[in-house]
Amino acid sequence: MANLTEILSAAKAITKGMGITFGEMLQPALTEAYPDGPPQFQERYRGAHVLKRDENGLEKCVACFLCAAACPSDCIYIEAAENTDQLRISGGERYAQVYNIDYNRCIFCGYCVEACPTDAITHGHDFEIASYDTSTLIYRKEKMLEAPQAGKASLAYDSQASNGTSGH
Amino acid sequence: MSIALSAATEARWQKILDAYPEGRKRSAVIPMLIFAQDETGIITRELMEEIARRAEVDYLQVEEVVGFYSMLRKQPLGKYHVQVCTNISCMLAGGMELWHHACESLHLKNKQTSADGLISIEEVECMGACSWAPAVEVNYDFHHHVTPERFDEIILELKGKG
Amino acid sequence: MATTTAPPTVINAKLNGQDIQTKPGTLLINLTKELGIEVPAFCYYEGFSLQAACRMCLVQVNSSPKLLPGCTTIVTEGMVIETESPLVVEARKSMLEFLLTNHPLDCPVCDKGGECELQDMVFKYGAGESRFVDIKHHEPERPFSPVVYYDPARCILCYRCVRVCDEGYGVNALGVVNRGVLSEIAPNRGDQLNCDECGACIDICPVGALTSNTYRYKTRPWEMKHVGTTCAHCSNGCKTTLGVRNDEIMRANNRDSSGLNEEFLCIKGRFGFDFNHHPDRLQSPMLRIDGDLQPVSWSKALAAVAAKFNEVKAAGGKFGIVASNRTSNEENYYLQKFARTGLGTNNIDHARTGDVVTLVDALSGKQGKLATMADLYQTKAALVIGSDLAQQHPLLAYELRRNWRHHQARIYAMTPGPVREDKYAAATARVAFGEEIAALEGWREQLAKEPELLILFGDSIKGASLRQLVDFGESLGIPVKYVALVDYANSRGAIDMGLVPELHPGFVPSGQPGLTLPEMLDDSQLDVLWVVGANPLANRSQANPKAFVVVQDLFLTATAARADVVFPAASAYEKKGTVTNVTGEVQRLTAAVKTMGTKTDLEIFGLLGKEMGLELGIWSPDAVFNEIRQNVRGYNVTMPILATGGAAPTTPVNGKVNVETRSDLVHSAGDTLFTSGSMTKYSQVLNTVAERPGQLYKPV
Repeated sequence: MANLTEILSAAKAITKGMGITFGEMLQPALTEAYPDGPPQFQERYRGAHVLKRDENGLEKCVACFLCAAACPSDCIYIEAAENTDQLRISGGERYAQVYNIDYNRCIFCGYCVEACPTDAITHGHDFEIASYDTSTLIYRKEKMLEAPQAGKASLAYDSQASNGTSGH
Repeated sequence: MSIALSAATEARWQKILDAYPEGRKRSAVIPMLIFAQDETGIITRELMEEIARRAEVDYLQVEEVVGFYSMLRKQPLGKYHVQVCTNISCMLAGGMELWHHACESLHLKNKQTSADGLISIEEVECMGACSWAPAVEVNYDFHHHVTPERFDEIILELKGKG
Repeated sequence: MATTTAPPTVINAKLNGQDIQTKPGTLLINLTKELGIEVPAFCYYEGFSLQAACRMCLVQVNSSPKLLPGCTTIVTEGMVIETESPLVVEARKSMLEFLLTNHPLDCPVCDKGGECELQDMVFKYGAGESRFVDIKHHEPERPFSPVVYYDPARCILCYRCVRVCDEGYGVNALGVVNRGVLSEIAPNRGDQLNCDECGACIDICPVGALTSNTYRYKTRPWEMKHVGTTCAHCSNGCKTTLGVRNDEIMRANNRDSSGLNEEFLCIKGRFGFDFNHHPDRLQSPMLRIDGDLQPVSWSKALAAVAAKFNEVKAAGGKFGIVASNRTSNEENYYLQKFARTGLGTNNIDHARTGDVVTLVDALSGKQGKLATMADLYQTKAALVIGSDLAQQHPLLAYELRRNWRHHQARIYAMTPGPVREDKYAAATARVAFGEEIAALEGWREQLAKEPELLILFGDSIKGASLRQLVDFGESLGIPVKYVALVDYANSRGAIDMGLVPELHPGFVPSGQPGLTLPEMLDDSQLDVLWVVGANPLANRSQANPKAFVVVQDLFLTATAARADVVFPAASAYEKKGTVTNVTGEVQRLTAAVKTMGTKTDLEIFGLLGKEMGLELGIWSPDAVFNEIRQNVRGYNVTMPILATGGAAPTTPVNGKVNVETRSDLVHSAGDTLFTSGSMTKYSQVLNTVAERPGQLYKPV
């Protein structure tokens, strides 16, 4: 008797387990095919940073240095400059002439995003930043800046880009 | 720098300056400004510089005084400056209505001057004429118990005098 | 009254429930500060008149139904004070809400953000939200001068700037115009300032209303390293704190007011650091090759100089060494040692700017005759002879004025032209240079009645007339102290370290006087002219054009342009060491930045000595200063004072100097607030303010 009871209970367990297995086989797959297919992210995923523009196409960053102050790994480097009537880069009085993030050191904690008073810095979803050359891991503002939206007044940024050359 | 003031104003200046001892001439700044304004109707930079020199203070100190007191004016006002009190006693006696009437009948806003430069109006605080409220002051002349009708008469008289 | 009771010596009061005792006449806000209880205030600033404008320091006092401002309330017997009661807390919150009604809250872009008193107060005492919904009154930011910017929207009208300018500096360039919500700070010349351009208003501003143009939007306070050092310009020796980021000086101020100058700085101390980053700074040694100065390596340049020096030395040739008014004590000491033991010559001199030697000699045997900076603030009476202090020695002028303000000191000014002291001096006289001693007799009676006297004199009093002045002072029958005014950051140290042919360090006669500066230049037999941080050939040529000229300098000066070898030297902000100010106080220099390619003068001497095979001892600043403390009398100063950034007074020799120095060579360059010798042209700020040399300058 004892044997029969054991056999039945084992069969029940197998049936239950395989039931889940076969049941799941009919569900849509959650596995991602990365790198063969595109990865999927939750909206709040903290990837490489993106510097935002406002509704006028101007940069939101006013170079207040609060992100650099909040950064626990000290990977943000900023040089500020003043907007003029001839050259207006940001909506505020000043803008970031140089804005570098050193991805050798960044730990993607998101403190910079929390600290930003103008919502200028956000986490994007780009995560493929590995490199064989660490010097390429220092991202400049030009690389992180959001592209001007179509139809919005965009500023000739290229003329300014040449200024942002000094490194950390 | 030269400002041309009448002999009478010069005399008033001198009198007030003489009234204060040496080293305290700064006390004469406000009277001097008022006397000059009575004559010219406006306080100019040259005038302030002249007063600073005579009262032995810095120009900036005179400028501070002029900026502080609303009765000292850097903008020209009308020949007849009509001041309507809307402080509490006058307001209760119809001062506010009088003020609105003044604005509407003259088509002017506060501290504005008529196109011919004759009349300007201003809403002012208590002038100490509460017992005869509502009160109107034209330059240095008081008018008591002013009704809108009386106000129109006063304006007509002023226009008549030209 | 028939009976008079003696005034109480102690006041008993109750503060936050605790019984306390204090001196009569104590301000409530000072009492709380002593007891470590914080009563917040914006407008209150120790040393200036009371304003009670900001209403932040309101406290509850039993004798008044309403809250009283702590900054103007004097503690009286039996007073019961509450500084943390619910009413007071609510009042502070409301006051801050009120101050913020028109404030733009633009902290992220404000230069003051991070070190703003308003920010701190709102963080600590303020309400989280404002109840004001109306549109804020806004006036745009505008420049008052090339260095001072004013943003009316941020201003809280505490009057600190107005008071520091008027009471502190005696310039009175700022005022408040208009009334109520429209009130704002106004400059004295229409929309521009005509003043000392000292920037004291910027430093004293508790908010970001007055900001510096040179520092504008450059960085944030927490991004900088703050290095306290001594100003490189005049002889007053103000402490200045350099804000450094990326090896660049961003700004200078005295944020902690810890130096002997406390809140004082002039335009040179606060903005004149920009010479350090001038593009003309020399960054490589240069050697004259085929008639042209060409950049070479340090080793090549050092070898060339060492070889020439050894050759001339071996041939018994003539060296002439011109030392600097700005190099550190260590460098001066090492240089004279190099000259005297290494090169075996006494031909060492510098541009003498004040006759300290004769003063020390004339005062021999008398104690405590040389005034310190503290004496200027404490003395009961002071006599200024032949110097426009406000222009040439701004800190001394400030201290005397402060003394007059706080202690009603009596100031006597005997100068050739009008000076700022005229306004409050007990007596003034217009006396031409050289006639002061005779004119002083007229004041004898008046001066003799003073309880004590401090005499400051310029370069017109030297040699014989200085001895006459000391005779005059000593015949007054009152304690008299003296200050010999000198020009530059270490003019005093240059004399103390024996950079004159007649004297060894510490005023010890050198025995066999060598050539003085003009004698060197006039000597047609001179083989080597070695110029360290000086510009003797600015307006003249040397008698022997073939002399081998070596120059150590920051810039290619007129002298450097004629040199055979030029070494790029580090500036005072780039080196460690000590300097001695006009009142004989030793202060520390701290290296704040580094300019690529330069070396400190001390290192250049050391390397050159080594290259020549000389044994001059190690050339680290600490080691050399130790040697100075042991060998130079009067320089055995207290090290902890120095190490903590303080000013350590020296006590020079007290005895006959036993040698007559060339007092006739003493000549002040007569710098003003807007010039600093050969450095003037390399400071952009000094050349852009409206008051720059030769331009408008009104305030006396």
